[in-house]
This record gives sequence, structure tokens and C-alpha cells, in this order.
Amino acid sequence: MEYLAIVFSPWALLTIFIGAFAGVAIGGMPGLTATMAVGLLVPFTYTMDPAMGLMLLGGIYAGAMYGGSIPAILLNTPGTPAAVATAIEGYPMSRAGRAPLALKTSVIASFAGGTFSVFILLLFAPFLARQALAFGPAETFLLALMGLAGIISIADEKSSLLKALIAGVLGMIIAIIGTDDMSGSLRYTMGLVELYDGIDFMPALIGLFSMIQMLELAGQKSHQIDTSALKKKQKGEKLPRGIGKYMGLGAGTGTLIGILPGEGATIAAFISYNLSKRISKTKELFGKGNPEGIAAAEAGNNGCVGGSLVPTITLGIPGNSVAAALMGAFIIHGMIPGPDLFTEYADRTYPFIISLFVANGVFLAVGLFFAPYLARIALVPPAIMVPVVAAFAVLGSYALNNSVFDIYLMIAFALGGLVLKKLGYSLEALILGLILGPIAEGGFSQGMIIGKGSPWIFFDSNIAKVMWVIILALLVPPLYSYWKHVHKAGKAAG
Amino acid sequence: MFKASIFTSVALALGLASAPAALAGEYPDQPVTIIVPSKAGGSTDRTARLFTELAEKNYEGFEFVIQNVPGSGGQKGFEAIARADADGYTIGLNFTPQLVAHIVSGRAQYTLDSFHVMGNVAQDPGIVVVPADSPIKNMADLAAASGLTVAVNGIGSDDFLAAKQFESIAGVTFNLLPTKGSTEQKAAILGGHVDAAFMNLSQMIKQHKAGDARIIAMLTEERDANLPDMPTALEQGYDVQMRATRGFVAPAGIPDEIQSQLDSMLAEIMASDEFKANAAKGNIFLLPMSGPDYLAYLTDLQAQTQAVYDQAPW
Repeated sequence: MEYLAIVFSPWALLTIFIGAFAGVAIGGMPGLTATMAVGLLVPFTYTMDPAMGLMLLGGIYAGAMYGGSIPAILLNTPGTPAAVATAIEGYPMSRAGRAPLALKTSVIASFAGGTFSVFILLLFAPFLARQALAFGPAETFLLALMGLAGIISIADEKSSLLKALIAGVLGMIIAIIGTDDMSGSLRYTMGLVELYDGIDFMPALIGLFSMIQMLELAGQKSHQIDTSALKKKQKGEKLPRGIGKYMGLGAGTGTLIGILPGEGATIAAFISYNLSKRISKTKELFGKGNPEGIAAAEAGNNGCVGGSLVPTITLGIPGNSVAAALMGAFIIHGMIPGPDLFTEYADRTYPFIISLFVANGVFLAVGLFFAPYLARIALVPPAIMVPVVAAFAVLGSYALNNSVFDIYLMIAFALGGLVLKKLGYSLEALILGLILGPIAEGGFSQGMIIGKGSPWIFFDSNIAKVMWVIILALLVPPLYSYWKHVHKAGKAAG
Repeated sequence: MFKASIFTSVALALGLASAPAALAGEYPDQPVTIIVPSKAGGSTDRTARLFTELAEKNYEGFEFVIQNVPGSGGQKGFEAIARADADGYTIGLNFTPQLVAHIVSGRAQYTLDSFHVMGNVAQDPGIVVVPADSPIKNMADLAAASGLTVAVNGIGSDDFLAAKQFESIAGVTFNLLPTKGSTEQKAAILGGHVDAAFMNLSQMIKQHKAGDARIIAMLTEERDANLPDMPTALEQGYDVQMRATRGFVAPAGIPDEIQSQLDSMLAEIMASDEFKANAAKGNIFLLPMSGPDYLAYLTDLQAQTQAVYDQAPW
């Protein structure tokens, strides 16, 4: 009870509100991310009351994860890599004038995923963290494979499977640049210190999506969004029936993947999206604007928020880069993750967890209230939109690592990506390869070392066996339908 | 700032003899940037902020701006410090053994001569840690077992160097598992995926005390005050010593009067009780060393690292 009193004091509520609102705004700007926002604000909490500081950062984390979906839906410029799957469904809906429904789906799904994961965090954190430890490098490799299976899912309706796979491999090839963690040797860095850590995926994401979208917008003769539909449906298209199932699927998957050490919201969103597509009765609508896909992906990435904090505060093993920055804030105030957090510092830890519920409520209210107004962002004329977003793209690329090099990298990705896109290669597949390639490589090489050179380690544990079944379930049906499609086309041509 | 720099360059161009003196008298007339070669919230970052908090409070006219330049095992930040203008408005933090490891491996564009070493602040002793239920109880067990998988935090790190030292002393060969960051090491130990890990004390002390993992040796010359019951590797018959240090450096060539002002400020702050109390609260282990002492330490460390590199380059 006293913990509730701490959270519901006026100052605390104001702090959480500011955090969540700022989080939505930051996540909503193409190029600015939760990692950056929390990283930048951690120093400010040095001088704040510990509980307040943590609530502020928690609010930003929760808000930003949702905020990333707004530009993804409206402008096809995902604010975070975790919102790429949302853009695949959300942007077509936006173009069809159904942006209000897409935004509503996204905010409700985000709330569902976020709230579910915080419940899990509050009730089962220490128990789950121990279970997650069984998940080793070999299983990490399989999880990355599972995420990469999403490439098939991006492609199969357009029957450009080969091009999607090539784009995915291209992403993985780009990811090879940098230091090889296993030997310490440098790969294709051309003597540039900037490349020693490899290509950061944020400049790539900003270049491939925000910048290209702006280039295309600038190149259009007329602004072609169906505004009549937007006006007519302003009062509100109801959420489709049965969408709760996809939110539940996403919330569960996201929380689970969030708990695993070192995994991220991007994998969670893509696996949730992919799974929802497999079980959907309206598969053919995927890629053309299916709210089911948004529901699963957004519940999935917000599920990671609570999930990623489970190993962070119980074991000091942050679930992703934002959680890592948050852990820094805990340590600053002398709260070293471990059992102490739930005994000695319980008066800070529990209010922090409870505040996350409030933060979820704040962004739900903000999202629902602003959705009709936000939807109009899509109507902003390119003459204003293009320079503003382009400026944010440059700023966001620079600010992540204070690196001018990353700006050039972003521009290079925009130019190269534009050519690939015109040739019909999937940029979503490319970014997936770029992000998951290194995770797969790390898991594979560490797994091989632990297995002393025997690949059996990838089939050894029960978790691994279950994961193989899921991977096959994700891969075989689309490949079969693709084969049938090609076969039929071959016959027709013959 | 732009105006000021124009004024300065004009003054210098005219060769006004009084210019340097005037500058020194005014110092500092702008905030001093501290380059931290790692992310905000990490232990190096926190060390820097412990310093600035007291420096701003106790020294009139001093303001500090912390600039995080993470990446490449600190190399990006070290290069930035070495390249900075030697005007007293940019100093930075270094950490070992990465500072010298980059020199030894031939990747650094700087050398130790690129810096004026101001002094060391903090340390993090090396440790050897095993999973809680491991049959390995001490260093002798570690040397006796064969085919152990041992996690180190990346190639060329302090962990890696310590593991290599132990291998050559004990005549064993580990199945070395390089990880990306200490988080992966921690997960591997707590999950029982590896047999042992070479790490740093601050990363595992809580887990050791909670019984989730077991430290079997300190890699220091003497026992550590934070874990006084834990024997050193040296006591157990294996002379393996490793610690991470974190200190202040400045670009070489800062005018003497400004540099000595900064050096003595660092020494005074480190001696204060408030600083010690804040460090203890923030889980930072202090190891104050003067500039000359720390320079000697770094020179020594570079020679040792060179020896390991010559045997097994990475």
C-alpha cells in the first residue's frame, strides 16, 4: 500500500506523465529512439530523487516503444527497428485512409502488451529470470533464425521470395563489417576506426526508411492519400472482431522474448507478426494493411518492456540496450541489481514497477485522444514534411553515437536502398538481416565453442528442440505455397 | 565562443607577449569538456561524474561538460582526447588495459606520449568466478581440470590477458569463449553454460554474496577490502594479477600552470571524505595514484601486454 501511495503522489504522477508523454514524442520522431532518450537522461537522474528518476526513465521507455509505431503507420518511417513490422501493415492502411483505425489498434495493442508484461514482472520476476538462464548461446542462435524466418513472411505474397532472400543476405553481409568478436581481427574496416564496431543499424534504419520515404515523397507529382475516406471514417472504424487473440499472442511472445538475456524488441515484433500471419484466417490481407499484424507486432514489442526488466533487476543482466541504460541509472543510486532490490530498496523498486502501469495508461490515453489529430500528419504537404523529417534523420543519425560518420552512413543507405527498392528488393528483409545477422553469428560461434566444435549443441536442449519445431512451422507452409504458386505459373506458361 | 577564439588567434598572431599569461589568469573562462570513452551510466562514466559533482561544488568558476564517445573498446574516445586542443578545456578518462592494448596491437594512432597522465582514480580487481554448483573450488582445481570452457570479455581485454597469463603459468589450455560485454559472461556463468570466467569484482560481487555464483580467487597482489575472506591467486600459488584501472588523462602539451591546476584539483578531490563516501555508494573501488605513478604503471602494463601479444597476437 505504501508503494501505491508513493506512485500516486502528485509529483510522482506528474513525473510519470512527463516521462511517458516525452517517450511517445521521442519514439514518434523518426531517428530518435528509447535507447538514446534513456541514455541521454540517465545523467540527469544523478541529482534526482532515486524513485522519481527511475519513474521518469521507465515512463520514457514505455512511451517510446509505443511512439515508434506512429510514424511507422503514418509515414512508413519506423521510429525504432521494432516498428518495422508495424509499418508493413500500418502504412498501407494509412494510404487507404484507415490511419485512425491503425493508430487505435497500435495503441491498444501496445497497452495490452505493455501491461501484461509489467504484471509478469511484478509477480514472477525472480522465478522467470532463473528459468531464462537456461537459454544459452545455442538457443540465441535459434531465436535469431526464428526472427530471420520473417524474411519469408515478408515476401511470400508478392512471390518475390528470391529477391527478399537476397536482400536479407545482403543485410547480413553488411553486418560482417567490423571486429570479429571471436578472434578480435578486423573485417573490411578499411582502416576506419568508425567501422571497428561495425555498421550501427540505426543510421541504416533511418536511411532505408525515413530518408527514402522522404525522397519518394519529394519525387511525387501529387500527394496521393485518399483524404475523403479519412474524413468520413474520422468518427471511428471499430476494432475488428477477434483481434484480441493477436494482441494476446503478441503480448505473450514479446514478454517471453523480452525476458531472454540480450534479445530485443525487434525480434519479438517480427516473430509475433510472423506467428499472427500463420494463424490468421485472412492471410491474403497481410502486407496490404491488416490490423491483425499491427496488433501482434505492437503487443510484441511493448511486451519486451516489462520482459526485458525481469533479468535486469533480478540478475543484473539487461534484456536489451534500453534496459542496459536503465540499469546504469539503478547503479548510480547504489541499487545494484539482485535480491537487495526487493528487500533493502523495495521502497524504490516496487514503486518503479507500479509506475510502469501508470505509464502504459498515460500513453493509452494520449494515443486514443490524439489519434484523430495524429492521423492528419499524413496530410501535411511534402514541402513541409520532407525538410522536417530529413532534418530529424540527420540529427538522429548523429546523436546516437555523436558521430558525423553515421550521417554519411545514413545517406549512403538512403541512396543504395532507393536503388534496391526500385529494383523490387525488400528493405525490410535487408534491415532484418543487418540486425539479426550479428546475433545469429555470435550465438552460432559461441555455441560451437561451448559445444567444442560439435553442432549437436544446437539440438541438445529441450528448448532447442521446441524452437526447431517452431522454425519449421514458420518456414514450411509458406515455402510449400510458394512452390505450388511457381509450379502453377510454370504450367500456365508451358 | 567563436568570438573568443577569433580574439585569441588574433592576439597570438600579433605575438602579444602577454597573451598566454592573460589566458592563464582567466582560466577557466568556459566549461571544461571531459571525454568519457564509454556509454553514459557505465562505470567509467560514473567515475567521471563523481569527480565533476565535487569539482563544480568546491571550485569556483569550474564547469564541466561530459561528452560520451563510446565504441571500439574505448579507442574512439582515447583518439579524441589525444587529438583535442591542448588548451586545458578538454581532458578525458582512460581505462586499462584497453588504452595500452590498442597501442600494442598496432591499431591506435596515439601513443602514451600523446597524453599527460593526471592520475588514477578507480580500479576493478580481476577475479576468477565459477557457477554456484561447480566442482571447481579453487585455482588448483582450475589448473587440474582439462578442456574447460572459460568466458572472457572479448579478445585483448583484461580478462583475456589474465586468462592467457594463467594458461602459461599453469600449463593448461582453455577452450576460450570470447563474449560481447560482461553481461554475456554473467549470463553464461549464472546459467552454467561455461565452466569458469575471468571477470572483474564489481560485476560479480553481488551474485557471489547472494550465492548465485562463486568467486574462487582475486587477481590482486593482496586481498581486497571488499571481499577480505577471498584468497588471491598468488596465495594459491599462481602469480596472475590483473585489474582494470580508470584514471584521468589530458592531451599532452597543456600549458604547465593550467595543467598543474587541474592535477592538484584531482588529487584534492580524491583525498576528500565526501568523494570516498560517494564512490562507496556507487560501487566504485578507489585506487588513487598520482600522475607520475600512474604513468609508470601504464608504461609497465604496456610492456607486459606486449609480451602476451608477441606470444599470441590477436
